[in-house]
Amino acid sequence: MTLAGPTARRPRGALRRTVAVLIALAFLFPFYYVLVTSLNSASQSSTLADLLLPHWHWENYARAWAAAPWPRLFLNTVLIGACTVVLALATSLLAGFAFGVMRFRGRGLLFALVMAVMMVPGTVLIIPDYIIATDIHWLDTYWIQIVPWGASVFGIFLVRQFFLGLPAELFDAAELDGAGRFRMLWSIGMPLVRPAMLIIALQIFLASWNSFLWPFIMTQDPNVQPVEVGLAAFAGADGTDYPGLAAAVVFTTVPVLAFFLVLQRHFVTGAMSTAGGVRG
Amino acid sequence: MVQLSERVRRRSRPREGWAGWLYTAPALLIFSVFIIGPTAYTLYISTFHWNTLNPSMSSFIGTDNYRQLFQSTTPDFLTSAGNSLYYCAAMVIGGTALSLALALLLQRGGRLLSAGRVAIFAPHATPIVATSLAWVWLFNPQFGLIDLVLKHLHLPTPQFLFSSSWAMPSVIVYSLWHEVGFTVVLFLGGLAVTSGELSEAARVDGASPWQEFWHITWPQLRPVTLFAVVITSITSLQAFTQFYEMSRGGPAYATTTLSYLLYQEAFVLFDTGYGAALAVVLFVVTAAFTLLQRRLGDRIAADL
Amino acid sequence: MSSNPTLRRTAATVLAAATVLGALSACSSSSKSSADAGSGGTTTISFMQIMISGTQKSTLVALTDAFQQANPNIKVNLEYQPDYGTLHAKETAGVAAHNPPTIGQVYESWAADYAKSQVILPVGQYAGSDSPAGLSDFYQGVQKDLRLPDGKLWMWPFNKSVQVLFYNQDLLQAKGQSAPTSWDQFATAAKAVSGDGVTAISIDPGTTASPAGGTVLFDALCAADGTPDIAADGTPQLNSPAAVQALSYLADLKKAGALAVGSNFPGETALGAKKGAFDMSSAAGYYFENQAVGGKFALGTEVLPTGASGRPTNVLSGTNIAMFASASKAQQAAAWKYMQFLASAQSQAQWSSTTGYLPVTAKALDQMSEFLAKNPYMKTAAAALDYAVAQPAFPWVAKAQGEEVVALQKVLEQGADPAGALNAAQQAAQADQKAGQ
Repeated sequence: MTLAGPTARRPRGALRRTVAVLIALAFLFPFYYVLVTSLNSASQSSTLADLLLPHWHWENYARAWAAAPWPRLFLNTVLIGACTVVLALATSLLAGFAFGVMRFRGRGLLFALVMAVMMVPGTVLIIPDYIIATDIHWLDTYWIQIVPWGASVFGIFLVRQFFLGLPAELFDAAELDGAGRFRMLWSIGMPLVRPAMLIIALQIFLASWNSFLWPFIMTQDPNVQPVEVGLAAFAGADGTDYPGLAAAVVFTTVPVLAFFLVLQRHFVTGAMSTAGGVRG
Repeated sequence: MVQLSERVRRRSRPREGWAGWLYTAPALLIFSVFIIGPTAYTLYISTFHWNTLNPSMSSFIGTDNYRQLFQSTTPDFLTSAGNSLYYCAAMVIGGTALSLALALLLQRGGRLLSAGRVAIFAPHATPIVATSLAWVWLFNPQFGLIDLVLKHLHLPTPQFLFSSSWAMPSVIVYSLWHEVGFTVVLFLGGLAVTSGELSEAARVDGASPWQEFWHITWPQLRPVTLFAVVITSITSLQAFTQFYEMSRGGPAYATTTLSYLLYQEAFVLFDTGYGAALAVVLFVVTAAFTLLQRRLGDRIAADL
Repeated sequence: MSSNPTLRRTAATVLAAATVLGALSACSSSSKSSADAGSGGTTTISFMQIMISGTQKSTLVALTDAFQQANPNIKVNLEYQPDYGTLHAKETAGVAAHNPPTIGQVYESWAADYAKSQVILPVGQYAGSDSPAGLSDFYQGVQKDLRLPDGKLWMWPFNKSVQVLFYNQDLLQAKGQSAPTSWDQFATAAKAVSGDGVTAISIDPGTTASPAGGTVLFDALCAADGTPDIAADGTPQLNSPAAVQALSYLADLKKAGALAVGSNFPGETALGAKKGAFDMSSAAGYYFENQAVGGKFALGTEVLPTGASGRPTNVLSGTNIAMFASASKAQQAAAWKYMQFLASAQSQAQWSSTTGYLPVTAKALDQMSEFLAKNPYMKTAAAALDYAVAQPAFPWVAKAQGEEVVALQKVLEQGADPAGALNAAQQAAQADQKAGQ
């Protein structure tokens, strides 16, 4: 690629790179702004220099750190997210395989039902679900934060599309070999849908990480609450402590962000092969 | 090819009876308990003047809640539906166009462009609760950076989240920042599997970059685009957290979307029956929207 | 079973995760398993409230510890919520699921809803009398506030407050102004100190879902002019001449550059950053105002200015405590003891000195000499509890106030005509009243 007419392409390449860098900086700027805010004092006069340059008020971090049991909340977030991902991947794989490969009575109806689930506005479910959670004694537990999110329409849909895109002979051949259905899914289907699984895992984890109204209502005990609840509570209680809030945003967001950025390459590759599997 | 093999499979493979139900059971069980059941319940209570505190004091009123939707005083249902549509259209049209442009800009290429992809994806990997706060500060008309910069440049300084004409655009800017990372990745994936040979052939035939994109690349991206559009419309119709965090539906109802109105009726004013009716309508609107898009997608596909 | 190594590895991971999960949830729930009332032993009650930060939390914890020490057979679980909106949602969800706290903070209109649905108990049921001992010690305004429109006593006071004016003494002095005692003087002073990057007062009308300080200021102005925004019988009077005058007053300040609109306690932030001169807020904001000012200038505090009549008026704010109907007899007795303890002169003196909330009984002031010496405003502010009036307790009042918020936003932000905006609000509020009856 680099060999093909390097001289002709260079100017356009340079322009493209410059534009890309500018856009990337624009996208990253809010992160920088949070970082600077977390290091400035609450009530300094606001000039451009004050807003854009850090003043190294590290005590903001100490204050924010003391406001909630962050390590525990963080552990909860990771645990809830990881378990939700594992559960949702399992249910998506099974259901997606069934919808994509198997033929059974009522398949169309069930699939329509699954798609309809995605369109239900979540807010209205909170009170009925709260009553259900109370009845099955799941209030203030990890279960109520994991199981209801352990099935994903997005995941089922993506896996199904992926299987639809694969040549059917693959599975026919396996059946002739006498392999069981599950074995067929595990040994042939699973490796092929792995890229889609990565994207699903990403979406499920982000959704779990993003949720706050749900855990807010369903839990009361900091021993099981995720970090976003701590953050929202901190924002509600000390709404005017911007630097402290910014500090809390930094130390709650950076670890997960770093994790994703390290893995980002895999996600893009995953999406690239997934998008190949998406056939309207 | 794919269609052919599909037909072969349909003919040769027997029905698998209960196995399909077994495989879908775990997901369906979860959906039934936590979503489908409560939705049916919602449909039921939408016909009542419902008392959440003491259901025995509820009274059946038939379709009154639905009728009230269209007669309600403030904010009337149509205004909220309009706000939803405004947000949804901006996210679907603006978001898709922006994502596609960014994906074209950042596709392939070396280290630098790969870093650019990381930068654009990063916002999507942050919780809305955390990062919308930063944008509220940026938009602050008294102390915020954007205000300060505009003042330095002697440009007019709108009140952003406190102005009924600017509040929605402000939330949209934040949402685009947060959401495009995901759709860009989808488009990057779509671009990766477009046929290089066709593009090469077009270039050899002397097609301009624009012609190449319009006639060769774009048609191949159709399935990905449809997928992105459907996902974006559903998430934007249901978007709630950014409105809750940034503008709380205000000022003067300017950012009260259907899902925010639903939250307010069901969760703040506890007008549960009315909230349930709203939820049912929002569900129908979302479903209709999605079907319409699929139809349109198919129609466009047929025309091509 | 399976020979596939990947399968085994994944299964092991899932199993490990489940084990960790089980262990963690076990350790978190073990502390709660003994929460129910034991027959002969301790009675456990829960108190749901929003005192989640600063001195409010530490003082409530200290008071509760003292109570438990004096009553070793009662255990009080403090259940914290981050804000009143979440508190309301949690209480409602708890009632709906037959799992409410024993007692909770309530606003008057919530209590009206709860009482109508028969999910809270009237005080008479657990105190044995509709006017129990201690009631007559409370300030007049507080006593009236504890009864709902049905005339029955439904609540017991906890954190009460009125609106006060915080101001930058140094700034006012530099501009030759003194603390205003009438709203006319306030307008003059506000215009005098504005300019040069200073906007006298920043207000937040709030949102339709939760009206904030700016709307309270409008309510205070209406009351000062003699016609409250909502009449005592719950009838909205949002387009009364007093209301139109009040909103025009605010619009006039805005036009003169002496008033700005913001959110999230903008007055406090602006005052602290020396970009504002005044902030009107609940007396309980005292701790937070002081924190925002951080000793950069002398912070003054005054009761609200008066209207043309010169008669003092104020808006009673803060909440009371109500008991949910599912409490057992033992819990009722224990919770009633705790409620009386929190409203006692001694507890209120401690509570008030650290949080800035006003003591609900004048007897507490005798034990607050140290605080009063440093904060002379407290005496007049507490006295305001005698005449301050809360928003009438009807279910539609919250909605009607939402309509006020919209009128404020229309006028202050879009420059709409006050009379027109208030006519629209009145029409909507009347519809809310009709729907809510």
